[in-house]
Amino acid sequence: MNVAQQLVNGIIIGHAYALVAVGWTLLLGAARLVNFGHGQIYMVSAFIAWWVMSTTGMTYALAVPLAILASAALGAIMQRLFLRLTLSQDLVNLMIATLGFGQILEGAAGLAFGPKPETLMSPLQAMVFTLGPVWFTAQDALTVAATILVFLGLYLALNRTRLGAAVRMAAEDPPLVALYGIRIARVYMSIFAFEGAAVAFAAVLIAPRTPILTSMGFEQVVMTFVVVVLGGIGSVGGSYLAGLLLGLFTTFFSALVSPAYTTASVFALLIAFMVLRPGKLAASRNFAR
Amino acid sequence: MKTLPAPLRFFSIAALALLGFFLPRLLGGSSHAYDTFGMIATFSAMSYGLDIILSDLGEISLAHSAFFATGAYAAAILSVHYGQGAWVALAGAVLAALALALVLGMITLRTREFAFSLVTYAAAVVCMNIAANWDFLGGSDGIVGIPPLTLSLGSASFTASQPRQFWPFAYVLLLLTLYVVHRFRRSRLGQAALMVHMNPRLASMCGLAGNRVRLLVFLVSAPISALAGWLYAFQRAYVGTDLFDTYFLVLMLTGVILAGRRLLLGPLLGTALLVGQKSFFSLGAYGDKLILGTVLVGILCFCPKGLANLWRRRSHAAVEK
Repeated sequence: MNVAQQLVNGIIIGHAYALVAVGWTLLLGAARLVNFGHGQIYMVSAFIAWWVMSTTGMTYALAVPLAILASAALGAIMQRLFLRLTLSQDLVNLMIATLGFGQILEGAAGLAFGPKPETLMSPLQAMVFTLGPVWFTAQDALTVAATILVFLGLYLALNRTRLGAAVRMAAEDPPLVALYGIRIARVYMSIFAFEGAAVAFAAVLIAPRTPILTSMGFEQVVMTFVVVVLGGIGSVGGSYLAGLLLGLFTTFFSALVSPAYTTASVFALLIAFMVLRPGKLAASRNFAR
Repeated sequence: MKTLPAPLRFFSIAALALLGFFLPRLLGGSSHAYDTFGMIATFSAMSYGLDIILSDLGEISLAHSAFFATGAYAAAILSVHYGQGAWVALAGAVLAALALALVLGMITLRTREFAFSLVTYAAAVVCMNIAANWDFLGGSDGIVGIPPLTLSLGSASFTASQPRQFWPFAYVLLLLTLYVVHRFRRSRLGQAALMVHMNPRLASMCGLAGNRVRLLVFLVSAPISALAGWLYAFQRAYVGTDLFDTYFLVLMLTGVILAGRRLLLGPLLGTALLVGQKSFFSLGAYGDKLILGTVLVGILCFCPKGLANLWRRRSHAAVEK
């Protein structure tokens, strides 16, 4: 086994996990909302980018912002639909509703894009850098850099801006935001739109690595949720670290033990964590840190 | 609401149950009608497993599609690989579901709300992953060639291989499930579950151990969904990883929520509407998914207490006028 190469792979995949999870981290931390449609938004974003490129012949660089815009709009639609449930903090119904939303996206994507696997082509995927015993593509480098930027940006936005303060307030106590003279619906709108945009950004960066299928959303959510839970619910820095560690863990597990049971091993990791640190699951003190 | 005197109530329930049995014949008696009614009975039995958790315990278990699949896989393995009869397969399905529920119940004992849902969801994905990769469970090809269902009771023996012949089995399973759920709601455990859900502090003051109640309810609910899976395996003569599809999960959830929670016949009515649409007005697999999701989101956003509540509200309004 080429340890150095596996280490690089793990770091790349870890950043990918973290980037996919960042939108959900904010959504869970600020709105207490578990979005089971997260994986389907990922899938739809990848397909929108693919569709734009294959029908209009647009370049990858142009398809990326389009997919991000489209998914931010999806997030905003979700917010409009779920506003009443979010405001009343009806968490049980909210969770089921997001599952239904995911189902709508999957059905619609199946009707629009068909059941065949497709490939989202990125020109950066073909550029390979070799450094001694390790190699990686320009797409990988971009993914890592973009993840670091998104996490830094989110951290600064939450802690240094007015909107960030409003989001933190909404996490603490939604009526407080109204007292401060800010429309709570607008705060939620920005949170949901960020969730959509972030997962779309992740999708267009990561999807070129493998063929895309309209049914891929189901499994996509699991890694995200492990990242969010291990990182401490809603913690920005924690999610980054958890994503990175999870990437290293899955890479070495599939290289040393068995690639087929990687998902199962991650679940075992999660259970071990829950048994050792049960209190962590309920905590929201780490939000925005 | 007025309640009828006991003997009268018994007779009206028996008459309704009898009428239900002849419903597919009254609606034409075609093979397609029997198939549809068989599916409605099987899938609503599956939904009742989740109904107990969702309506009485107030948590969302997303692992019930895994219990359903566990029952189906147990039935398939026992009857295909080991040549066992349907009764052994039934016992195997229940035991396998109990074992899985025990493990999952212990893991999720201290989790609530979204943590509970997330862990059960992840468990369902992991189960699918294992089923797709482990050759013992058929791998990604699944298990084919499940024999016709043959159940012997004393000297009598019943066999089913056609939709028409499956209907009585599915119907009996449904009636049994309804009876169990009804009894559960009146049992000490059912009452305890409701109290743990509605007022955990009062429950602990009354000396109820919340975690124990939760685990027990989980153990009651899993075999219900597994039994539906057991029958479904024989109905389809094939099990595969598609049993873990979110479609089944969303079907269950929508079935429970559509008519209204904590209504004995709610999941049956909800499932009947959904399966009826799929069977008679299907828009293809993707179209049906789209409809199912839209129904679920629509109900939750505009009428979270279910259709029955809408009707009740109207009749209340009529009385006030």
